[in-house]
Amino acid sequence: MKTPYEILEVSEQATDSEIKQAYLQKVKLNPPDRDHEKFQQIHGAYETIKNVISRENFALFNYPKADFDALLEQVFITGPVLMNANIFQALLRASIDDNTFMPGNSKKTTV
Amino acid sequence: MKKKPLSTPKASALDVSALESQALSKLNAGQYKEAIELYKALLKNANKADWRQALARCYLQRALGFATKGMIKEAVVLWENYAQYAEPPYQAFDHYVSWLLQTNNMVKVKTCLGQLSAQQLDEQYPDLAGLLGLLIITGKITCPELLPADSVFMKHLIFAQDALNADKNNKLEDLEQALQKLPFRSAFRDFRTLMKAALLITESVEQAQMLLAKIPADSPYQQAGKLLLAMTHQGTTLVNELAQFTPSQIKVVETAKNFNKKQIELLDIVTKQKDRLSDKTKFNLVLQYKVLLDTDLAQHYCWAALSTYPAGKRDYTKHFGALNDFDDWRLKALACEHDRDFHSSEYYWNQGIAVLKKQGSEGAFKIALIMRHVAKHQETPEEGINWLIDSLDHDPDDRDSYVQILRYYERQTQEIDTYKEWLDKSINKFPNDVELLALAIKAAVRNKAFKKATNFAQDLLKIDPVNTFAKQVLFTSHLAHARKLIKSKKFHLVEKEIQQAEKITLSKRYQMQAQLMRGFLVLLSEDKNRGEQLIKEALQKYNDGVFNAHFYVMMEALLINFPMAPLLKIVPPLAKNLVLSQQEIIQLTQQIQQYADADTANKALLHKALEKVKSVIKQSIKSTLGEETLLTLCQCLDAIGHFELIRVCVKIAQPIWNKPIWMYYRAYSEANGKPGKCSSINNFRLQASLKEAQDQNDMRTVSLIGNFLDQYHQSRRPFGLNIFDSLFGNDDDDDDEYEDYDDDDDDEEPIEILFGHLPESLFDKIVVKTTDLIKKSPPDRLIKIIAADYLPNDKTLILRLSNDFDLLFAFLMLKAADDLGINTNVTAAKIIKVFSDKATSKPKSFPFF
Repeated sequence: MKTPYEILEVSEQATDSEIKQAYLQKVKLNPPDRDHEKFQQIHGAYETIKNVISRENFALFNYPKADFDALLEQVFITGPVLMNANIFQALLRASIDDNTFMPGNSKKTTV
Repeated sequence: MKKKPLSTPKASALDVSALESQALSKLNAGQYKEAIELYKALLKNANKADWRQALARCYLQRALGFATKGMIKEAVVLWENYAQYAEPPYQAFDHYVSWLLQTNNMVKVKTCLGQLSAQQLDEQYPDLAGLLGLLIITGKITCPELLPADSVFMKHLIFAQDALNADKNNKLEDLEQALQKLPFRSAFRDFRTLMKAALLITESVEQAQMLLAKIPADSPYQQAGKLLLAMTHQGTTLVNELAQFTPSQIKVVETAKNFNKKQIELLDIVTKQKDRLSDKTKFNLVLQYKVLLDTDLAQHYCWAALSTYPAGKRDYTKHFGALNDFDDWRLKALACEHDRDFHSSEYYWNQGIAVLKKQGSEGAFKIALIMRHVAKHQETPEEGINWLIDSLDHDPDDRDSYVQILRYYERQTQEIDTYKEWLDKSINKFPNDVELLALAIKAAVRNKAFKKATNFAQDLLKIDPVNTFAKQVLFTSHLAHARKLIKSKKFHLVEKEIQQAEKITLSKRYQMQAQLMRGFLVLLSEDKNRGEQLIKEALQKYNDGVFNAHFYVMMEALLINFPMAPLLKIVPPLAKNLVLSQQEIIQLTQQIQQYADADTANKALLHKALEKVKSVIKQSIKSTLGEETLLTLCQCLDAIGHFELIRVCVKIAQPIWNKPIWMYYRAYSEANGKPGKCSSINNFRLQASLKEAQDQNDMRTVSLIGNFLDQYHQSRRPFGLNIFDSLFGNDDDDDDEYEDYDDDDDDEEPIEILFGHLPESLFDKIVVKTTDLIKKSPPDRLIKIIAADYLPNDKTLILRLSNDFDLLFAFLMLKAADDLGINTNVTAAKIIKVFSDKATSKPKSFPFF
């Protein structure tokens, strides 16, 4: 779940005019007739942080969300994939269930 | 339970035919188990080829059925039974080999593979060929020498192995050449696709993904494709995908993603129990692996997690330092709000405000915002307004708060002075605010301060020159002034007022009104005939019909305090049995509304005028009118409080349209607009209508019924929680008594005084514990417990306990709180004092002590 600052891609220290600029820029790229939902999201974000009072209200009363997935997102952002013959062969071998000699990860068949 | 063995028929020549027929019937019905027994019995009599074939067919079908259910070992045995009775070439031989592989029976696998022909491998068993190819190139089975050397499969196997070797030796050209040799129809087709995707993955993830999408779902390479695809993902998507893989498969992805030890550790935990991780585990994981995270992010997560896992506070402090006092309270307040426990959240916000107050002016703005926020969650508008008023002490420039306060007091007819006070404050603070000026105009009109209203309207028009409301007010104000001048016979000044009214650009209807006023002026002051002519012309232009002309003349006569009869002679007489058209009703509604809006005092005159023509209106309402017209008429009649006519509207409308709004108007008009007079049956009806309106998302009706019911319940509020009150009952019709009750602050309940400061959650805990105590012991035992703990040697008070349940309850709550270890700041002395004060301030009609 993105914060209004993330949606408008502005820093938490941004001024009213910087926020407005960012908002107008975003609306230009996402006009309501193209993607109404996206536009609503942008508009909502702007309304939430458009001035000192709204920003302070957001800071005070926004229920903090402990987003574990967001953390995982950060932890497992990785660089390019390493691929070589060993990994490829390991991948092929791992794709086969050693118990059943069948591809997949199905549980051992009940016999 | 032991199954009853199937009865095997005796070898009787007479029975054979019947047995055969029975066996065939079972076979055709798919009852292979029974058919097998029957055919086995038949074969004991004679080794007939048909029966052997039929038996073989039964075994094969049973084998396939078991395999479908995942009972592979049984399938193998049944297929082997099939093979005993069937003639080569055997059916489902490829399935049999596959089942042998699954049961790890390599001896039999090798035997079978030695029996495979090139044609079978290349043409008849493509699925088996694909699987064998994968198993051979991965070294899971070693059997190439058993397979037919002349098969295409073997040729392609060599190409696939060449490709793998070239890959191992980093010879890209050779690799590509080898892959090119594998055609579309090859058993290694998907191997080729997979390997191409693996080669592309470091250069273009998108192209690799496109290739992987080409591997069919039933291909033996599908799982390898999924693993490769997972490697192209990252973040949460990757974690979610890995959760579906085996540990050895995850390990391959971890290697390809080059994860470090900590990442691997964390991944192992989350993939094993991702959806089952408790708030506590997540919190601890973040602390344990905080090195993998941006510190701010980890801190923010843990801080936010404290709202659902408050026990983590100590660890939080250890890792990130002590929580800011204010944030601590804020978090608790927000958690309560999240659970919709606004009573407790208010308690925590108050604690937060106390912290902010210590910061002096720096915290003032935050305090004001908190107060405005708390105001939104108050149970009554009055409490909300008090919070808003307090907020202005900390931030006196919040226009919205002024507007809300004004809107509240505007509705409180008994608070006119407070409203005026706030209006003056607001206008002084925001002299150019359109909304506030409009409110000021309305108030001035209501108070008949037309000069003031005109001034405000003129101020408003300076800011907003096209403001219709201000124009209407100015116009009405001029006409009202003109009437006043007529009444005082200052005719020479009237024309000026009419001209000023005419200068204001509004609809034609307003211009006609000005012309009519001129007609009245001329009639009364100059020339009766010319005046009558002017009035006639204006009314003709008005074109609202004879009835509306009558009504207009009646109202104007009443307003200028002139006898109606001579003026009514100017307009044509009303026909007998007149029924108004829908259009005339609409015009009448507009007329009434306009007079009502212009001056609240007009309501009495409107009632007078309507009294003379209500029979016509009643008759007309009974004719066919649209629902919208009737509803608008009802709203207008509501504005002037004409309940008799509303009842007529409802009587007609409700049976036809049966909507919640009509139930509301029925209950409202039957109670003459006083919720306290509403009958119990109408209360129940309204509750049902409220639910219906909510279901229909009719928010206007929800609001009307909700307000009405609130006031209804308010008017029936019992005097207190004291259980004895209910014994004596309340006089529901005595409104004054309730007003007295409302105004008396001392009537707060003792329990509320003593424990009301506690957060709702704590209060509830104590009440639950108290109820437990009451359930467990009889009253005399409870009194003894309380006496021993809190009132040693005080016989008078012990006697009071047995006579006053509320007092006993208060002590039991104290006991419950003590048992629970909750510090309530309530002492026995405090309880005694509160109850003594109560007894002194409002003696009960019953002699308790």
